[in-house]
Amino acid sequence: MKYCLIWGLVLAGGYVLQTAFLPLINFYGIGVDVLLLLTVSFGLLNGQRLGGLFGFMAGLLQDLASGTFLGTNTLSKMLIGYVFGLASQRVFKEKFFLPIMSAIVATFLNYFILAVLMLLLGYRFNFLQHLQMAFLPTIIYNSVAAFPVHLFVCWLCDKMKEK
Amino acid sequence: MSRVRRNTDSNKKIWIIIFVIFSVFCIIFFAARGRFTAPLGERVAITVLAPLQNIVSKIGNEIHYATAGIWEVVTVYKQNQMLKSEVEQLRDLNLQSNELASENERLRALLGYKDSAKQFDLVTAEVVSRDSATWTDMIIINRGTNDGVKKDMAVITPQGLVGNVAEAYGSYAKVQLLLDPRSAVGTIVQRPESRVAGIVEGNPGDKTLARMVNIPKDADVVEGDQVVTSGFGGIYPKGIAVGKVQRIENDEGGLLKYALLKPAVDFQRIEEVAVIVNSREALPLPITQPDVKPAAGAAK
Repeated sequence: MKYCLIWGLVLAGGYVLQTAFLPLINFYGIGVDVLLLLTVSFGLLNGQRLGGLFGFMAGLLQDLASGTFLGTNTLSKMLIGYVFGLASQRVFKEKFFLPIMSAIVATFLNYFILAVLMLLLGYRFNFLQHLQMAFLPTIIYNSVAAFPVHLFVCWLCDKMKEK
Repeated sequence: MSRVRRNTDSNKKIWIIIFVIFSVFCIIFFAARGRFTAPLGERVAITVLAPLQNIVSKIGNEIHYATAGIWEVVTVYKQNQMLKSEVEQLRDLNLQSNELASENERLRALLGYKDSAKQFDLVTAEVVSRDSATWTDMIIINRGTNDGVKKDMAVITPQGLVGNVAEAYGSYAKVQLLLDPRSAVGTIVQRPESRVAGIVEGNPGDKTLARMVNIPKDADVVEGDQVVTSGFGGIYPKGIAVGKVQRIENDEGGLLKYALLKPAVDFQRIEEVAVIVNSREALPLPITQPDVKPAAGAAK
């Protein structure tokens, strides 16, 4: 229960940081997806079941608080948490490049899932243009922020294990 | 025996995953069509997070102003030179604008117009947060139902239209920006020879430009045209600047075209907005069927 509360606070803090502080360094409305990075790191460290659950909660929080299409981020982040959780037994968690490579793959997956959902909902867009305007800046932002976020999640997981 | 059990567990897990994914899929499609909402969840999320976002946003802005101040000191000489040349240009412009202002004054007096801002009751608000990681464009402002803000009220800045209130809570409100793909604003080209009407909606492909759709192919719309709200639809009062036509492209169907607009408001640097809580401007009357009287001969 206590752990749930702590991770809930981490999610809320991450969301507040993402929406109220980091927009100061946004590039045309595009910035760091802190909740995605938290989901990826949590999935890598805690396995598929907890990763999927964490992603579900992170996406649900984002959907409810931001007013976007309800369920879109819930689905994408849940799947990403689950997929990265599957890889948790097969990777070296302390490697420097792990969070960066994971962030790139996760950003692509997240983008792909949301793009497919938008198309299924009937919204049309120029794929190449959108790739250039939204996807590339997000990849850069997320790659830069991935390592500090991963370090933070590692540190918190270790603290909890000690207790 | 244990292998059989492991297989059963694994099957059960797969079915649970499929069930969860299917349920979320259903929620997405029902929610997008307005048949499923989570007002309580949204209210709780906003009530808990918005005050925190407000505090963090203020701290962020203070840091931003401080760093901007330091940077200004560093670049003060260069700025001074630029400002000198700008002063010269502005003097010329001032002369011209004085001339135009006096002409405008006379015309206003002639037509009996009141000062345009007086037709609105405005509530100013600060932008508390904006989530850039979604495909939609919403902001949270620090004014809500306690300040008279209600759903569907228009939100503006001195530059032009920002969007409309999507949801209002006690002290906070969600504002759907003009750039959100779900928004639709009734607009008209301001140029007197044109006056072409169309709907401006968000452009999911490019977050910097809005799209004016449903323009007939032969309509008189050119690059550089100013587009303002038409007042139709009842949400947005007439005459608020929406944007400037940047380029025109043909629609896939071939009968229509659409214009890409550079919004009048710089959404990248949006910090304060005003909500129109009351507009004294009369909204256009709904279109009614004209009375067609049968010809005298036909009645017999």
